[in-house]
Amino acid sequence: MSNKDKAGVLQGTLDLMVLQTLATLGPQHGYAIAARLEQVSGGALQLNMGTLYPALMRLEQRGLLRGEWGVTDNSRKARFYAITAAGRRQLGAGKAEWDRMADIMRTLLHEQG
Amino acid sequence: MATMREWLRRLSGTIRRDRADQDLEEELRLHVELLAEAAQRQGHSPEAAARRARLQAGGTAQAMESMRDQRGLPWLEDLGRDAQLGLRMMRRNPLFSAVAILSLALGIGANTAIFSLVNPLMLRALPVREPAQLVELLSKFPGEPRNNAFRWNVYEHFRDHNHVFSDLIGLLPRRAEVSGDALAAETVSAEYATGNFFPALGLEPALGRLIRAEDDQLNADVVAVVSWSYWQNRFNHHPGIVGRRIVVDGAPATIVGVAPRAFRSVLFGSRPDVWLPAAVGRRNDSRFALGLVGRLKPGVSIEQARAEMRVLDRWRIEEAAKTAPFLRQLTIELEPAGAGLSLLRDYYGRPLLVLMAIVALLLLIACTNVAGMLLARGTARQRELAVRVSLGAAGFRLMRQMLTESVLLAGLGGALGTALAYFGVDALVRIVMSGRGVVGLAGPLQQIEAHLDAEVLMFTAAVSLLAGILFGIAPAWHALRSAPAQSLRETGTAGDARSKRLFGRGLIVAQVAISLVLLSTAGVFISHLWNLRNVGLGFNRHGVLLVTLDPSRSGMAPERLFQPYQDLLSRLEAIPGVRAATLSGVTPIHGAGSARFVNVPGFQEPPMARQYTSLNWVAPRYFETFGTPLVAGRDFQFADQGQARVAIVNQSMARYYFGDGNAVGRQFTLDGQDRAYEVIGVVGDAKYLDLHNAAPRTVYLNAFQESRMFSHRFSIRTDTAPSAVAGDVQRTVAEVMPAMAITRVTTLADQVDASIVPERLVAMLSMLFGSLGAVLVGIGLYGLLAYTVSRRTNEIGIRMALGATRHDMIKMVLAGAAGLVAAGLIVGAPFAWWGRQLASRWIVNLPIDNPWPIAFGAIAMMVVGLAAAYLPARHAARVAPAEALRHL
Repeated sequence: MSNKDKAGVLQGTLDLMVLQTLATLGPQHGYAIAARLEQVSGGALQLNMGTLYPALMRLEQRGLLRGEWGVTDNSRKARFYAITAAGRRQLGAGKAEWDRMADIMRTLLHEQG
Repeated sequence: MATMREWLRRLSGTIRRDRADQDLEEELRLHVELLAEAAQRQGHSPEAAARRARLQAGGTAQAMESMRDQRGLPWLEDLGRDAQLGLRMMRRNPLFSAVAILSLALGIGANTAIFSLVNPLMLRALPVREPAQLVELLSKFPGEPRNNAFRWNVYEHFRDHNHVFSDLIGLLPRRAEVSGDALAAETVSAEYATGNFFPALGLEPALGRLIRAEDDQLNADVVAVVSWSYWQNRFNHHPGIVGRRIVVDGAPATIVGVAPRAFRSVLFGSRPDVWLPAAVGRRNDSRFALGLVGRLKPGVSIEQARAEMRVLDRWRIEEAAKTAPFLRQLTIELEPAGAGLSLLRDYYGRPLLVLMAIVALLLLIACTNVAGMLLARGTARQRELAVRVSLGAAGFRLMRQMLTESVLLAGLGGALGTALAYFGVDALVRIVMSGRGVVGLAGPLQQIEAHLDAEVLMFTAAVSLLAGILFGIAPAWHALRSAPAQSLRETGTAGDARSKRLFGRGLIVAQVAISLVLLSTAGVFISHLWNLRNVGLGFNRHGVLLVTLDPSRSGMAPERLFQPYQDLLSRLEAIPGVRAATLSGVTPIHGAGSARFVNVPGFQEPPMARQYTSLNWVAPRYFETFGTPLVAGRDFQFADQGQARVAIVNQSMARYYFGDGNAVGRQFTLDGQDRAYEVIGVVGDAKYLDLHNAAPRTVYLNAFQESRMFSHRFSIRTDTAPSAVAGDVQRTVAEVMPAMAITRVTTLADQVDASIVPERLVAMLSMLFGSLGAVLVGIGLYGLLAYTVSRRTNEIGIRMALGATRHDMIKMVLAGAAGLVAAGLIVGAPFAWWGRQLASRWIVNLPIDNPWPIAFGAIAMMVVGLAAAYLPARHAARVAPAEALRHL
């Protein structure tokens, strides 16, 4: 396995995935987010740290997430990320945009195919 | 909006550093640990689990790097980090850093200091309306400095007949005595200004009003405008100043207003306290002359104005030529005056530009020097850099790191240089104005001011940045070009490429070449100065005290001064240490004198060839006092008083009018006078007004034969230092004539030096900067040689083991140094020659056919080179073969 992610993450989609994960599961630490995405993708999506954590930081800087140090179930110190109100708005907008784009792509590809 | 917010958060992240590296690392560590635990749960051994986790997570370092980039403003953050690293590198190499910073400080400081003089003199615009439209008028006579002084009638002619100027203004700086109620009498610096002066410059009063056209009439009441600083210092900003009555030079005047705060004068370096209408000057002085400044009409070029003024000027030339036909050679010139009038600029401008070029070269040496040192250190750092490259640092990043280091060096050098310049500028101004500061007298009319103001500091910052990039780029490029893998593989000693070695030597050669240019140029300026001071003076400038008296307020009429002056002279000669005392109308190189046409019976000359003969009214023992030899005949005597008029002529005068025959006994008259003078003596030629001109034909007349005494300059030849008797002389004057004012006390040597300040400035500073350059070259060469020897220890050991003697080793190092210096001299010689030609175009009478300055520079560089090689050579000779071989 190389350092590269198994599936190339489309620019902007990672943000949406992270936001959606946090919106669904509530506050999570970085590893849990990665594990969740791997699980959901059936192992296709293995994020390395160099992709995931800068993205978390970017989202936090935009005010879409809030990160705080907390303790995991088995008492380990971890940084938990929670989606903010702005994050939820962004997620809604992002979802709508994604659906619209997917529709366009589907239509287009089926016509051609 | 979102990007804006992100940017702000990043900025605050940079400043607050709210997520420290530690914080980020901890988060990543947990990630890897959890991954490993997951793998262990799947049945992997702890070791395998940890490996899998690391592989899946990716490099911690890379993630950290991306997050750091993400965290703050990356470039700002990196810059800070690069700077920190740079500072760390500097601390690790304190000697290297100190030498580099000091070199740069000297180079940058010299540039700052000279620029602080050049900036106000050449570049800064006057605080007036549309300064770029201002041009000044200059009268030029072949072989003499230009001057901006035109008679009133010429001014009127130009003003009323030109079509190129929207306004033509006139001004004249003067001293004036001002007194008034609650205002102690004092001599202030004043300026006569034509009525259109202030309106044409677009100046608005700070208070009251300024001089208007109707004030500048011969019959108008006298008004005065004072400067802001005068208002502040003498009136404490009291608004009641408007309408105050004062007395200026004995005549009543009314202060009508205060000039704007920012305005000083259109005359560079002049700071008048009071402006008066030009009419006041015209009333007092029949020979009143003005400096003229025109404001070009919109759309009129200076070329058009020149063409028109040349036509209008014919009138002035014809008027002047009526009495003196040779004045037909006069021409008129126009120069931009947006930065102020050029009197001082003509005087100092070119020397300062020469100095600017010199300090630029000095800085270039400093940069080259530091580049050489960085290059040598780059070799030592190559392994460090290689490690960083293989650990993933981008080449661009390393380049930036190295440039940051060099700019940091330059910045520290610039800061230290500014401090040096701060003190240097004061010394410079003192040199520039020296010789004029005279015991108990107000300062000169024009004062050069140099401050390290914002403009100068900006210049310094720009120069530092540029220097940092200049000397940093080559070493940085070299460091990067060396392939990291290769240099890791190689041992530390073999790591540097041949090209780099050549480049390092090239830098030394370049430094030697530049240094040769500087030293030989300095040599030229010094021999020029020496010539001016010593060749063909015709008098001995050492050991003469000059004292000027002003009887105007002593209550003693000029007709009745003969006896007191004669008494004073004999009393002065009685002072211990005084060998002779005399008086004269002018003293040598005072800069002002009088001149007349001379008529010799039977002597014919074409009108155009007819020239003025310089005149001086002197007392007995004048020639003895000044050390001018009496070639034939006798000196004046006090007993000549009341006898037939006698004169002494110099040899030029005697040769011109009386041929080779003996002039003694011959007669002449002065133009416009009937009485004949009989020549009783011939003296050697002596320079008169100005050191730059050869001795003119000169006639000396006996001051004691005139109907009134108008020679008030006393000169005292001393056996000791002239200043040692100054106190006695002043006391003696007070005893003989208690009411007599002493206006000036100086020495002849100082008076001579005061007339050649630009030459002294250039000679002293070019020598100083040339020596500094040579020292820098020495340091650079020493560094290179020491480095080379230390790297060749093995080779030297082998050679000595094979039978080479210590002597051979010393010879090898010295020959290496001599070779580099010789190469530099060969490269530099044409530039030195060319630089001298260039300088001679700017500075007249430069002795350029003299080969000595270049030879001097070459010898000096050889000495510096061998001195720099001495320690490394000794080091090489002390290599113990066994020791060196053990390290192989």
